[in-house]
Amino acid sequence: MSSYLFKRIFTMIITIFGVSVLVFMIIHLIPGNPVNHILGDYATEESIKELEMRLGLDRPILVQYFSYMFQAIQGDLGTSYITGYTVVEEILNRIPITAQLALYSIIFGSITGIIIGVVAAVKKNTIYDQLAMVLALIGISAPGFWIALFLILLFSYQLSIFPISGYSGFYSLILPSITLGLGTAGSIARMTRSSMLDVIKQDYIRTAKAKGAGSYRLIFRHSLQNAIIPVVTLIGMQFGYLMAGAVVTETVFALPGLGSLIVSAISTRDIPTVQGLLLFMAAMIIIVNFVVDLLYTKLDPRIQYE
Amino acid sequence: MYRKRFIVFMMLIVFVLIVSGCNRSKDSDAKKGNDREVVVGLVSEPDSVDIHRTSSTGEANIPLYDTLLKLDNDGNIVPNLITDYEVIGDGKEVIFNLKEDAVFHSGKPVNAEAVKLSFERLVSSSPFSTNAGDIDSIEVLSDYSFKITWKNQFAPFFINATTPFLAPLDVSVLNGEGEGFEKEPSGSGPLKLVKINRGDSLVYEPYKDFNWEGQKPGFDSVKFRFIPDEETRILEFKKGNVDVLLNVPYQYIEDLEKDSEVTIKRVQSDTLSYLGWNNKQPIFQDVKVRQALALAIDRESIIDNTLNGEAQAVFGPLPKTVFGYSEKIETMARDKYTRDIEAAKKLLAEAGWNETNKDGVVMKDGKEFSVELWVDDDPANQRAAQVIQNQLMEIGVKINIAVKESATIIEQTPKGVHEMLLWSYGWPDADVLNFLLFGKDKSKRLHYENEKIYSILDKAAIEMDQEARSKLYEEAQEMLVEESPFIPLYVKENVTAIRNFESFEIHPINNTIEWTSVKVKE
Repeated sequence: MSSYLFKRIFTMIITIFGVSVLVFMIIHLIPGNPVNHILGDYATEESIKELEMRLGLDRPILVQYFSYMFQAIQGDLGTSYITGYTVVEEILNRIPITAQLALYSIIFGSITGIIIGVVAAVKKNTIYDQLAMVLALIGISAPGFWIALFLILLFSYQLSIFPISGYSGFYSLILPSITLGLGTAGSIARMTRSSMLDVIKQDYIRTAKAKGAGSYRLIFRHSLQNAIIPVVTLIGMQFGYLMAGAVVTETVFALPGLGSLIVSAISTRDIPTVQGLLLFMAAMIIIVNFVVDLLYTKLDPRIQYE
Repeated sequence: MYRKRFIVFMMLIVFVLIVSGCNRSKDSDAKKGNDREVVVGLVSEPDSVDIHRTSSTGEANIPLYDTLLKLDNDGNIVPNLITDYEVIGDGKEVIFNLKEDAVFHSGKPVNAEAVKLSFERLVSSSPFSTNAGDIDSIEVLSDYSFKITWKNQFAPFFINATTPFLAPLDVSVLNGEGEGFEKEPSGSGPLKLVKINRGDSLVYEPYKDFNWEGQKPGFDSVKFRFIPDEETRILEFKKGNVDVLLNVPYQYIEDLEKDSEVTIKRVQSDTLSYLGWNNKQPIFQDVKVRQALALAIDRESIIDNTLNGEAQAVFGPLPKTVFGYSEKIETMARDKYTRDIEAAKKLLAEAGWNETNKDGVVMKDGKEFSVELWVDDDPANQRAAQVIQNQLMEIGVKINIAVKESATIIEQTPKGVHEMLLWSYGWPDADVLNFLLFGKDKSKRLHYENEKIYSILDKAAIEMDQEARSKLYEEAQEMLVEESPFIPLYVKENVTAIRNFESFEIHPINNTIEWTSVKVKE
């Protein structure tokens, strides 16, 4: 186990390093630079040069990269060129909202998806199965902004159950979590259905049935527990999609999370903020997937990492 | 056993929801408990509340600051923090006297020393430092009197001093590294910052030591909420969670006007939208081509089709709210460039564009008149670009629209890699013609070169007599109308929707909320 852990942590570091190189290159390749944004239309050539020098943008790109990484390793992701806040401060300010949003979306998506998937598998080739799969397809394919507006119009504007936008605690995150979790629910439902169908065909299920196991026990104890492994992998992978989906959801619901921050940072070419955020998000996704891998051993004792 | 666990789990979920529901009722009651709170809905958060750092000013950071001078409703410069000033000699030195009762939000007086320190920070760190001119020195003459000496005369200073960019801020709140203002800002404007909720809102209270013109502030607090999505913003206003909705999208105005509780305020913006091009490109070298393009544009059609009629057509280089605007020039430009397709085609033919290919595009020396038009991602601008594309096609000019991010346009156009662009500018003084549009080595987007115009604009920038300065700008504009290096199009109406106010005014020139006029309905 310890050698496995060591290998995994090593590959994680290499991956994060690769991400940092990629992010740095992309940021510097796209047209538009922060100096133009900061100085605006009224800048002179001298003021542009002076600011470039002050921000260290006049140095060779490799020097900029290594100096950035040297500081990043020490936990300093730099200071925003635009707002004057440190990137770490910005992330700490906003991570609680995005983390809650991602967590609630995962919970909503997993519970809904697994229930729909199980129903579809158990009632295979019936109207329930077809209905469940249509719902799953809608969840996957409906655009986030459309679902968000639909939910706002119905539950916030017409029925006044939830706030329209802004952050005011758990209640204000229910609609955004549903918006973001629907896609996850759709994918999980499809995966749960196919995985359950595979398991249901197994001999031990037939044996359990023959021994008189009740249908509830049969489904949840014998079938679902064995069918859940690929679903857990999918849940881990969904974390990345949730981070991307948070950009749209946070914008529509006016939530001050990481998604809305990255949108504004990109439009102003705020290099330290974009770099810091992307690195942070990549690290989070890698760590979540690592944790999910470790979870397998708990879910299925037959799995052992050597 | 599993069933039991499931029931317990469901009960837990219900419990969490009930607890959250209780929290929610507290939140929603927050506004009811504070009846005189004004909630303003805005598209985006300012980069910073530090006026020396931000490149974007708006309602959410302007009220922190009180300006040195101000514009009255007719656009005249009148005293504010500065009570009077004296121009000495050739105009390189000016002595300013400050009023003696102004106080920063920190409680410190706005005196000559504080203004000097603020100017020094402005010059060393603000992206807008050029708007203060080339300052040689600032000398404190007494507690409330100081002298600025410029290396060269700088006539636009007085109008620039009416903008928040030159407003004094309290340098004493900065930390040892000269930073930290964005967290605890201290200006001397009508609103004092109480709380910063990054990405969500800024909360202010009326500043008690501000000059409220003998009355008490008509509100207890102001919350600027940042709601980027258009639909969400409108729904928040319609639901009554937002009292002031700035920049109402044009397609919603009619709907909001039907609501008897809502008042719509319209103020002409000072930002002029224009169709420009890279004048260094060979295709735009011939003045007849440039004039033909101008003659092919129907501004009213663009305004009606893309902005629901909420804009004013502009033909001359400066809109009405800008110092240097001339009615004579506007009339002259209108007479010269009111749409005339036949005249435009004739001019193009005279310039050698007299063949037409099978698509109806004019040709010269076997090459068709086809150019790329850069436009940003604002939907209204994209619709305007499409109307322009159709209008120019009527004279055989083919436009290919390329949508680009603003940051890309800002970076690329000074390099001269573009052909045509739909862009805008906004500044209260005609010096904008010099420092942004047509000055020597300053024509960033239009790349226009004309020694005679350079010389007039340079003279105007140092002419301290405002009447003589106006005349110089009139002369420059007359040449610009004739030369047609760009096509001024329109100034949009800034539309604001408000609800539950006894009084609420927006300054007709600088488009900002007049907080001294705001009184919430009891």
